[in-house]
Amino acid sequence: MGSGLIIIFTVNIVIWTGIVLYLFHIDRKIGKLERKIEKTSREN
Amino acid sequence: MIRHKTLKIVLTILMSFVLFGSFLYTRNAAGFPGESSRIMFFHVPQAWVAVMAFSLSMVFSVIYLKKRDVRYDMLAVSSSELGFLFCILAMLTGSMFARLTWGSFWNWDPRETSILILLMIYGAYFALRSAVNDQDDKRKFSAVYSLLAFATVPFFIFIVPRITISLHPSDTMNPMNPQLDFRFMLVFILALVAFTGIFFWMLSLKYRWLQLEEKFNRMDTSWDLD
Repeated sequence: MGSGLIIIFTVNIVIWTGIVLYLFHIDRKIGKLERKIEKTSREN
Repeated sequence: MIRHKTLKIVLTILMSFVLFGSFLYTRNAAGFPGESSRIMFFHVPQAWVAVMAFSLSMVFSVIYLKKRDVRYDMLAVSSSELGFLFCILAMLTGSMFARLTWGSFWNWDPRETSILILLMIYGAYFALRSAVNDQDDKRKFSAVYSLLAFATVPFFIFIVPRITISLHPSDTMNPMNPQLDFRFMLVFILALVAFTGIFFWMLSLKYRWLQLEEKFNRMDTSWDLD
């Protein structure tokens, strides 16, 4: 691989790994919020 | 919708294979200058997901108009937003490919111009949604607009590039193309699956988020959720 290709490869890996990790993070947050809203509406 | 944890992990593994495989497992396809063929693992799936998202938005809009169920409006708007995002990604990767093959990022090629017009049409969809205050009118107008907007998709994506002289390669990703070997096709098909999976995961997250917003608006906002 040429140096240009290595840079594109690394950038691509960083971007898509970031996106997937962010999706996991958001998924967990939404799950937590869903449970909280469910619990709050049951209590009220 | 993707809610099962195993599916998400499988999707992550698949995406990792596509990322590494596209650079380390495959060779350059013959007929493409330099390393430009590797863009196909990202550009084509992104364009496919954009078309699929716009189609789904149209389907959800039709269901909304029929049933007047808010959930379908949420799905339609989420799908349009993601279609817009993937359309921009397809345009960016396409312009990188254009730079490598035709020497310039933007050539006003029929394919490039039609994807730009498509982005403007769907941009107007979001402008329409933000311009109407009444929630029912907003949902109704945007569902009708989504139908009209989708009517232009086959024209701009499939017809315009075929009736005009385009620099864009037309059948390079055809499995019968002898220039593409097994490894190339394998990573390409897995990339299609991975990007489709990522799209459905994002759609499910956006839909759940809109549902939460709706529930929260109906609740007494003085409730402490922290």
